[in-house]
Amino acid sequence: MLADTWHLFLKYTKITLRMPMWTLFTLIQPLLWLIIFTQLFKNFVQAPTDGGSYIDFFVPGVLVMTALFGSSWSGVSLLREITAGSVDKMLVSPVSRVAIVLSRVMHSAVQVVLQTLTIMLVAWAFGANLNLDPINLFLAMVSIFLLGVGLAALSNGFAIILQREEPLVMIGNLMTLPLMFLSTAMVPKQFMPGWIEAVSLVNPITYAVESVRAVLVGTPDLGTYGFGLAIMLVFAGLSLAWAVSAFNGLRD
Amino acid sequence: MIRVSGLTKIFEGGNKAIDDLSLKVKQGEILALLGPNGAGKTTTIRVLTTLSGFDKGEVEVAGFNVDSDPESVRCAIGLVAQKTGVDHFLSGRENLMLQGRLYRMNTADIESRITELAKYFELDDALDRTVMTYSGGMQRKLDIATALIHKPKVLFLDEPTLGLDIKSRQNLWRYINKLNKEQGLTILLTTHYLEEADHLSHRVAIINQGKIQIIDTPEALKNDIHGDAVILNFDSQGPETGDFTYAMHEDTEIKDVVWQNDKLHVYVDNGGSAVPKLVHLAKEKGLVIKSLSLSQPSLDDVFLKYTGTTLDEVGEEEGDEWWHQWAGKSGGGSKWQKNWGQWQDKIEASGTEAGKAGWQDKMQEWQNKDNSNQSEQANLADTENSQQPQDNKHNKGQQQATDKPPEPDKQQDWPQQPWSGKDPDDWQKWQQPDKDK
Repeated sequence: MLADTWHLFLKYTKITLRMPMWTLFTLIQPLLWLIIFTQLFKNFVQAPTDGGSYIDFFVPGVLVMTALFGSSWSGVSLLREITAGSVDKMLVSPVSRVAIVLSRVMHSAVQVVLQTLTIMLVAWAFGANLNLDPINLFLAMVSIFLLGVGLAALSNGFAIILQREEPLVMIGNLMTLPLMFLSTAMVPKQFMPGWIEAVSLVNPITYAVESVRAVLVGTPDLGTYGFGLAIMLVFAGLSLAWAVSAFNGLRD
Repeated sequence: MIRVSGLTKIFEGGNKAIDDLSLKVKQGEILALLGPNGAGKTTTIRVLTTLSGFDKGEVEVAGFNVDSDPESVRCAIGLVAQKTGVDHFLSGRENLMLQGRLYRMNTADIESRITELAKYFELDDALDRTVMTYSGGMQRKLDIATALIHKPKVLFLDEPTLGLDIKSRQNLWRYINKLNKEQGLTILLTTHYLEEADHLSHRVAIINQGKIQIIDTPEALKNDIHGDAVILNFDSQGPETGDFTYAMHEDTEIKDVVWQNDKLHVYVDNGGSAVPKLVHLAKEKGLVIKSLSLSQPSLDDVFLKYTGTTLDEVGEEEGDEWWHQWAGKSGGGSKWQKNWGQWQDKIEASGTEAGKAGWQDKMQEWQNKDNSNQSEQANLADTENSQQPQDNKHNKGQQQATDKPPEPDKQQDWPQQPWSGKDPDDWQKWQQPDKDK
């Protein structure tokens, strides 16, 4: 199964590398957010961002946003593959069925990690004050990776259940924006109305942001990170299990 | 190699896609499943290749049970589906390599196999180009090559030449024949090209509504329908042609007479003796025969006999069946599909009626404008809409004369015929290859 996953993962990576433009496009949106929001909210002195500037606070949010936008569309290409017949071609071979889902999800998550690193570089150029030593960076990336896995798995699962590109894109839109705004990606918890804060507590994005923020901004807080990471592990695990079971249900 | 008995598959909603289907394919045999759209060809292939489940029956492929040991079946078969599953962004070599990996072959084996297959399918030069740059025929060849990478014992080809031009099609037939002859590969293919089934297969199974109507060699099937078809084309058409067709109805040797636009198809027991008679009769009636051709009965006629349906609307089947496959267990999908289907039926039902009426109105309108038009269609319009007295009499006469045989205007009834009537030359296309053989 692992070998199967690896070979399929290589295939997707090769395909991505052959159309680098697409990967670049997915970077544009988070970059815009980064630029617009940091400029827009620069002077919100009363924002309780633990002493740092708003850009420091916001960078983890943008990183998570990159993951959110980057991996939530993974299902669209699965539908393309189904229509093109590639999935059938895999299914008639003895390849592990889990590997088919797993390779797609892994590819998406790795892609997201690379995108996040690019964004971080830009943020650093903008003067964000981040803890960029290898350990903190690695921990942050693990969290982002798990988030990418979870979201990509959800997207693939929805793709299989919905069968159509249009509703899938709709669900993607419906999912990503509220998930982002109803989390602590852009605004600290103290700043939120009560009900949004309540929602943000059950939003996995919040925990992804918090865990990344815990290691990248200010004094590393491994407690918060650990909790966030645990939530990410559960989220990724559950989504993946669901996507695999949806995929297995494909055979009628 | 393939043994299927009592296979039944019911789609959600109670539609029987496959209904108690049984067949056997021997080692080294090519069997063609020939059927109209929605007959269950693709579904059958999907069941045999472990892609679809089924409700009843026993299915054994290459000695393994599809239901209890799908893994072994998968290792022993290759599938070339309707949609080319090759990846457009990868090169031919990469596609083949990946496929070999999925069958868990080791690198050296895959490489030697790639060299072999590339040579076989004459893809050497294109091997390192991305598939995007391939022509349709090349893509199909690569698709077949990927299906053969692990040296399967049985190859399934689902509409292998669909959408290819004539030349690529014949090219592909050559490869398929060669694979079967040289390597003894057992092949099960589906097609709705009669010519293809005739040309490639040892036996043909005519399938309709999920049931096999008959299985036999193409020759035996054709012998089943006695007689020949004579196609006549006259210099001009008028009351004499009507007289001529009417006279033919009295001849017992002539089994059927059908007009197709300006061509007259005459089905007879024996073409050799009928032709002189027809020529004589034409002379008697003062007709000049522009062209005359005689052909053997084709699978076309066989097909019509056993299914009572035609082979047009290419492409409908895949979409439909494909959707069923994937909509299977997932809540909303099938419901949408059902509603959509109902809508389409409604639209179609109302559409054709309106369309027909509208078409006839239009026709009359045009005819009225053009009084000098002497064509058959003009005459037709006139009888219904007698606004042109001078033509009318002439017309009536012909109408009576051709009373029995189908008039040229009855084009809407043409779907009765296997050549669909859309393109008058279709018939010729079907016939031609037969004659060549």
